[in-house]
Amino acid sequence: MNEGLYWEGMSLLDFARGPALRWAVIIFVIGIVWRLTALLLASRKQLEPAKGSATSGGMKTLLTRSAPAHELEKNIVFQHYSGYAWHIGMFVVLLFFAPHMLFFKDILGFGWPTLPNLFITFFTVVTMGILLVLLARRLMNPVLRQLTTWDDYISWLIAFLPFLTGIMAFTHITFGMRYETVLALHFLSVSALLIWFPFGKLMHAIFIWPSRYKVGAAFARRGVRA
Amino acid sequence: MSGLSGIGVKVESGAAAPDEIYANTLPLLHEIRHALARLVESGEPTVIDIQSIPMGPGDMNRLMDALGEGEVRAEFEALGKTVIRESRYGGVWIIEHLNGSGGVAGRFIEITWVPSLLQAQREDVEAGLEALADALAAAGN
Amino acid sequence: MAASKTVGDVLRAHGVSRRGFMKFCAATASMMALPPSMVSTVAAAIENARRPSVIWLPFQECTGCTEAITRSHTPTLEGLIFDSISLDYHHTLMAASGQRAEDAMMQAMEENYGNYLLLVDGSIPTEEFESHSCTNGHTHLSMLKDAATGAAAIVSVGTCAAYGGIPKANPNPTKARSVQDLITDKPIINVPGCPPVPTVLTGVLAHYLVFGTIPELDPYGRPMAFFGQNIHDRCYRRPFYERGQFAETFDDEGAKKGYCLYKLGCKGPITYNACATVRWNEGTSWPVQSGHGCLGCSEPDFWDKGSFYRPLSAAYWGDARTVGIGAAAGAAAGLAAAALARGKQKKAQQEEKA
Ligand code: SF4
Repeated sequence: MNEGLYWEGMSLLDFARGPALRWAVIIFVIGIVWRLTALLLASRKQLEPAKGSATSGGMKTLLTRSAPAHELEKNIVFQHYSGYAWHIGMFVVLLFFAPHMLFFKDILGFGWPTLPNLFITFFTVVTMGILLVLLARRLMNPVLRQLTTWDDYISWLIAFLPFLTGIMAFTHITFGMRYETVLALHFLSVSALLIWFPFGKLMHAIFIWPSRYKVGAAFARRGVRA
Repeated sequence: MSGLSGIGVKVESGAAAPDEIYANTLPLLHEIRHALARLVESGEPTVIDIQSIPMGPGDMNRLMDALGEGEVRAEFEALGKTVIRESRYGGVWIIEHLNGSGGVAGRFIEITWVPSLLQAQREDVEAGLEALADALAAAGN
Repeated sequence: MAASKTVGDVLRAHGVSRRGFMKFCAATASMMALPPSMVSTVAAAIENARRPSVIWLPFQECTGCTEAITRSHTPTLEGLIFDSISLDYHHTLMAASGQRAEDAMMQAMEENYGNYLLLVDGSIPTEEFESHSCTNGHTHLSMLKDAATGAAAIVSVGTCAAYGGIPKANPNPTKARSVQDLITDKPIINVPGCPPVPTVLTGVLAHYLVFGTIPELDPYGRPMAFFGQNIHDRCYRRPFYERGQFAETFDDEGAKKGYCLYKLGCKGPITYNACATVRWNEGTSWPVQSGHGCLGCSEPDFWDKGSFYRPLSAAYWGDARTVGIGAAAGAAAGLAAAALARGKQKKAQQEEKA
């Protein structure tokens, strides 16, 4: 372990930076590896003879599914591109805010250039805006609402909170809380995300590639276009 | 971070402060401009405690350079030296209180017609009156 | 008794003119972080303020706090503030020693019972270690409790008295406690710092002198006037932080240009103190200005919060080994789940065939 953090009267921030995050990382790793191995080892009896190459079909689907299908384009274009925008914004904020980079540098052992805070603020606001719009759509569209499970709402909240606490800490708009408390909440929201990640819908971030591949491969084997 | 030998030490003297630090000079000058306008319009004076404003190295010098030297300059000795001088902008006074060992104990910018410390103080005048009367009495006049 | 004179009397006895007095008041108001418009109020209050009797008890400490506060050469304005109080006992500073010093303290405590200001620096060992810190045969715990009963208020000078400080750092070999851990029935003003900024202590004394009240305190018992804002918010290097310009090492280009020290472990964002405005050594400089990140010395348990050189955002996430073990455990769980699923599949197929 890194330097011990054992003393009397640990503050919320100390708890968040230390034990909370440490356990969250452990749960995260266990969860991810568990679900991935279980998925990759799961197999289905292949009864019919192959009608096409599973591998190339799988690879192709990885790409084709990254753009909206022509037939559906009109209906899902907003969702599709706002989804892209949100993911890009999220990664920019996650990776190119200097304090975040330092967090990863500490883990990985190397760092990279970062962006001025002005850009980060911009991307954070955009990202949060998209999340809010997507939530509003989900709540207002009757079909979408029917499709929505508790998992979706929790996953939304878990993805939103790090941004909210992050920008609160950054701008010092803390609603009467102390800065350290908000910073601690930021760390805790990330811990919550790490813990929830492997078990909720956020796991799509990892599953998306193997599952696309598997679908593509299965379709190709049967000679169907995916 | 262990081992003192690992820390490279390089002594540099008289390094100029980087130009990038403008921090508080500009906003302060604007504040002074507003205060001057107030003085002209309504006669209301303003005092700014510049010692308790966060400034980088060189910032204070930059501010002093911007204010420049005016016509009036006065000093008095009381609990250490105090220097009162007018800046190149009439009505903007810089007051520097030094303590006995020459350290800065307080630094103010007063935007006023005459800084109150330049005037004789009533208590001192009264004491002076008494002292002069005593002196004359002692001399038998 | 000296304590019955007003501060105005004391200053006049020093031959201070009205100009000098106004200068003193202006600097004092500045010291108390009051706006310049308050100077006349301060002057009127100081003129008539009675000199409070002050008893200063040093406990488990390094004398750094006393050093810092007396380091300024006389006659400074800080020095005059000290002259304006009646410092009746401070075993490092007083001329008397031994029994005579003790007697002076007892006398001051009796004469000013209920009214004196008690200043404490250093933490207090407790329980089986109580006897590890004594003066003249009295344990510091008993001295604190005795002196606190007659005190109007207590000022904890320095991080040790305020929060336990270095003596209380892990593993706390003397079971050291702070003043506020032990005394709960008196108003306590914490003036932490290792050492505290001298001007801040004199500012707090000046406040007590001028208003006769306890200043507004933050949740950690620190006067808001000096500890209300964190270092980061008042730091002149802040524009570099915003622009993402950081010193990467202590001697690179960025360091020479005075860039932000966040990456070198600066704790400014979570540290509350007046260094950035009041500065040290008569306003000459302060740690960040001299090129070193803030250590956070005015915060509780600052000594135990990991490396001073670890960036604030770098957490204590664990290490590769723990993560490896986690991964192995996850893999095992995954294997078990897969095996279970296959077993079920097989069973179902067999049942189908049968
Ligand atoms: S040097 Fe420290 S206090 Fe100053 S801006 Fe950088 S992180 Fe904040």
